[in-house]
Amino acid sequence: MTALAAAHGGFVARSRQRLFRSAPADRDPVVLRHSRIYILPTRRGAALIATLCVMLLTSLNYALSLGLFVTFALSGLVAATLLHAFRNLAGIKVRPLAAGDTFAGAPIAFSLELFGGPAARSQVALFARDTRVVSDVAAGAAQTLTLMAPTTKRGRVPLGRLTVSSDFPLGLWRGWAYVHFPLEGIAYPRPEPAAPPLPRGHDGPDSAAPARGGDADLAGLRDYQRGDPPQRVAWKAVARGAGWFSKSFDGAQGGGPVVLDWNALAGLDADARLARLTAWVLAAERVARPFALILPGFALPPGQGREHHRAALTALALHDDARARA
Amino acid sequence: MSATLSLPRRLFARTPQPPADRLSPHQLRWLGVLLVAVALPQAVHLPIAIAVLGLALVGARFVLLRRDARRGDARGWHVPSWALALLAIVVALAIRRSYGYFIGREPSIAFLFVLCGIKFLEAHARRDGSLIACLAAFMLITPFLSTQTMGTAALALPGIVVLGATLDVLARPDSTMAAGGWRAPLRRAAMLLVQGLPIAALLFFMFPRLAAPLWGLPADRSARTGLSDTMEPGMFTSLTLSDEVALRVALERGAPPPPSQRYWRGPVLSRYDGRMWSVAPLPFIGGTPATDAVKTISYTVTLEPSNQPYMFALELPAGAPRLAGPSADGSVTLPAFLGLTRDQQLLARAPITQPLRYTQQSVLSDRYRSSSSLDARINLRLPDRNPRSIAFARALRERHTDDRDYIRAVLRHFNTEAFVYTLGPPLYENEPIDQFLLDTRRGFCEHYASAFVVLLRAAGIPARIVTGYQGGEMNPTGGYMIVRQSDAHAWTEALLDGQWVRFDPTAAVAPSRIERGFASSLPAGEPIPLLARLDGGWLKDLGLVWDAVNHGWRNHVVDFNYQRQRALWREMNFDLFAPWQVVVAVMALAGLWCAAVLLWMARRRRRKERALVLWDDICRRLARAGLPRQPHEGPLAFSQRAAARWPQFAIAFAAIGEAYAKLRYGSLAPESRDRAALVATLEHSIGALPSPARLREGAAAG
Repeated sequence: MTALAAAHGGFVARSRQRLFRSAPADRDPVVLRHSRIYILPTRRGAALIATLCVMLLTSLNYALSLGLFVTFALSGLVAATLLHAFRNLAGIKVRPLAAGDTFAGAPIAFSLELFGGPAARSQVALFARDTRVVSDVAAGAAQTLTLMAPTTKRGRVPLGRLTVSSDFPLGLWRGWAYVHFPLEGIAYPRPEPAAPPLPRGHDGPDSAAPARGGDADLAGLRDYQRGDPPQRVAWKAVARGAGWFSKSFDGAQGGGPVVLDWNALAGLDADARLARLTAWVLAAERVARPFALILPGFALPPGQGREHHRAALTALALHDDARARA
Repeated sequence: MSATLSLPRRLFARTPQPPADRLSPHQLRWLGVLLVAVALPQAVHLPIAIAVLGLALVGARFVLLRRDARRGDARGWHVPSWALALLAIVVALAIRRSYGYFIGREPSIAFLFVLCGIKFLEAHARRDGSLIACLAAFMLITPFLSTQTMGTAALALPGIVVLGATLDVLARPDSTMAAGGWRAPLRRAAMLLVQGLPIAALLFFMFPRLAAPLWGLPADRSARTGLSDTMEPGMFTSLTLSDEVALRVALERGAPPPPSQRYWRGPVLSRYDGRMWSVAPLPFIGGTPATDAVKTISYTVTLEPSNQPYMFALELPAGAPRLAGPSADGSVTLPAFLGLTRDQQLLARAPITQPLRYTQQSVLSDRYRSSSSLDARINLRLPDRNPRSIAFARALRERHTDDRDYIRAVLRHFNTEAFVYTLGPPLYENEPIDQFLLDTRRGFCEHYASAFVVLLRAAGIPARIVTGYQGGEMNPTGGYMIVRQSDAHAWTEALLDGQWVRFDPTAAVAPSRIERGFASSLPAGEPIPLLARLDGGWLKDLGLVWDAVNHGWRNHVVDFNYQRQRALWREMNFDLFAPWQVVVAVMALAGLWCAAVLLWMARRRRRKERALVLWDDICRRLARAGLPRQPHEGPLAFSQRAAARWPQFAIAFAAIGEAYAKLRYGSLAPESRDRAALVATLEHSIGALPSPARLREGAAAG
């Protein structure tokens, strides 16, 4: 009995997945085939079909052969449009390219690539996370489309189920296909708008210095090291072909690692602490100051550079993930 | 503005819509063109005021669009909805007044016509576009309610293509429209229609027609011309003024019968109330068909709809009408046929509303044996009127006691006295027979026939009137005989020795009516329809050719009704298959069509690379502008030469040459993005060039 129910449940789940692609089970790239493509009339198409029915009845009743012919000619047009709608989608290759990162509240970018093969595709729309983007896909060329989806909360942002649709050519039929990639972006906590300055570092001679912005004095250039922030790369020198250098600022190098500690922010609630810590991470990045991050159950050793910042922000975004999502 | 003035604005103002939901001026212009394309064929069937109003409303919107464009008004100016609603009500009332009724076919069509214009005047949202497109689709078929000639069919064609093109324009974002111009949507629509044609043809032949209308035809209030079950004074005069075709007859073999034997038997009128003749109240079904192996003639009749249940046969029918068609071995009785009455009249089950075709056999004889003793009693009754005629009959009867003698004397009376055969007799009011027979002596076939029957009945000889058509003209082009409403005729039958014998008193007065048609026997100056005239000349010949063409059109296209469809199916042996088998076959054909169209699209796509197509296009255009490409010339050399010729477009030409050379001879990957960008450049640069004619002018000027 239970085995049967389980099998039945399995069948239902499988059917649901097959029909609605509710789980992110697609591995890239996905080619849209007839088993995935659904086609139904649009509102305009339904209205025209209803009109054709009225025309059919009228012509039949009054035995209008010419009326019937006009009705059937238009029916032929509607039927041909159905095939075109199918052809416009069939064979499109959808490939997930990348999911971006952002701060909660700002839009997050998901880029996908459409490749239509030797045929040109017209007015193909991608829809996911309440965002829509429409584009033509030229014959023989891959088209990259970016969905800028709004975010509200920190944490992982899955692309979710993607709908590839088109009502080309006459807007009478809407063909669509569901594709569900395991594509996930990340939304960092929103930084506190006017956060206090960075806390003092543990050691080092210059730990008391306040955070310096862009007005720090340029001391000179030194060899580029992996992990130097991009805004400190001497791009002019790179462009000249002189090699890779980083600008070094007076004082900025002198700061020892600062510890950004969750526990030091007693008196604030969790979200406020995360906002403050995010703001500090950004501030430390701005002045290129090494920092360590301590969260409950997580500790990032002192460090510097892009990867380090990203690791810190990700840790903040995913802090206590289960509760944040609830 | 005061609050009172802003109130109606608030009541009728629409919530502002995002621009994507609004129709662009470009789309509105297409909708207007669509409305004009579907309205013109209908306009000729409407009262002139309605036609002008409908088209003027469309024109008004065009004027508003121009005004908006001039002023750069993004939202545009709208006619307030309440004004349009008021206009609709006024128009409805006017139509009600003009037609005398509103719920009916013709007033409804007229109202729909104006309503389209009103809707267009206020159209602004995308769904308005859908609505107008649907209304326009319906308006495509409304002209066919009036007429289904080749002309109306031809007039509907542009409407169908423009409808497709308008849907195309409605479905595209405005930015992509400018490139293709106005031809591109038409071309795309035509292509879709052509691809859909097999489905259209399949549906046309296979979609079952109705044997009888689903709902009544309430709007057919305008009486059709034709014979009916009564004969009123003046009826025949109006019929003979009509050129309309009553029936067409294709004779199976042999020469057509002589004109004196072309009596197409119709309603037989036995009852007379002193003014009006009518058929016997009960159709005594169960007449015995005439039999005569020698003088039998077989032919196929195409009967025009008459709204009457009467079918026509030459002289005396020799059996039931059969289904016409090449397949038929003549054994299938026409389903619409009810039976043969005792007075040798073919009756249909219902009034004939569709053209009816049947194969009929007839015996060429002017007499048949009466099968009922009732015949004599019914056909002796006379109303208590026309005393002078009855007295005249009694006096004549005293001198001629033999029935045949008496009839000969009556006919002689018509022949020798100064009777005039005319289309314009005076109106006989109280004692019509008396007045006609003894006073004015001017009349048409109906007067002669009724006077004859009254004189016979007064003398105790059973007699009655037979109406129908007499004559018929061979159409040499089509090889068939046309019988027109102008051939309508009334003659008589008398019961002599148990046999009904035909007498045609009109022949006694105007013998040439029977031999050569009624036009020959009328005095000069009488109004005779063109096609009934004897000396129509080339115009009449042309008319006959035109009728033959039209007959073919009607036969093969317009009259493809329930009956013809069944005949075709039978011919194709569909009877041998179960309905589900036919359905499966149709589905299979539809599937084949899908495969064929998809394959076609795939082939079209593969045939040529886009860059090649574009390059061929620009070479063709430049050749037309006077600069053909030399066979040895590469893209760069050719484009340089073009740039030298038209320096004002040097940049475009340089871009074209370079892009094509890279696409064709460069080492770009086939799927790369750069390649697509170059194709786009090529397309864009070619689109920026003016037409060949302009280029030629520009070169001449420079």
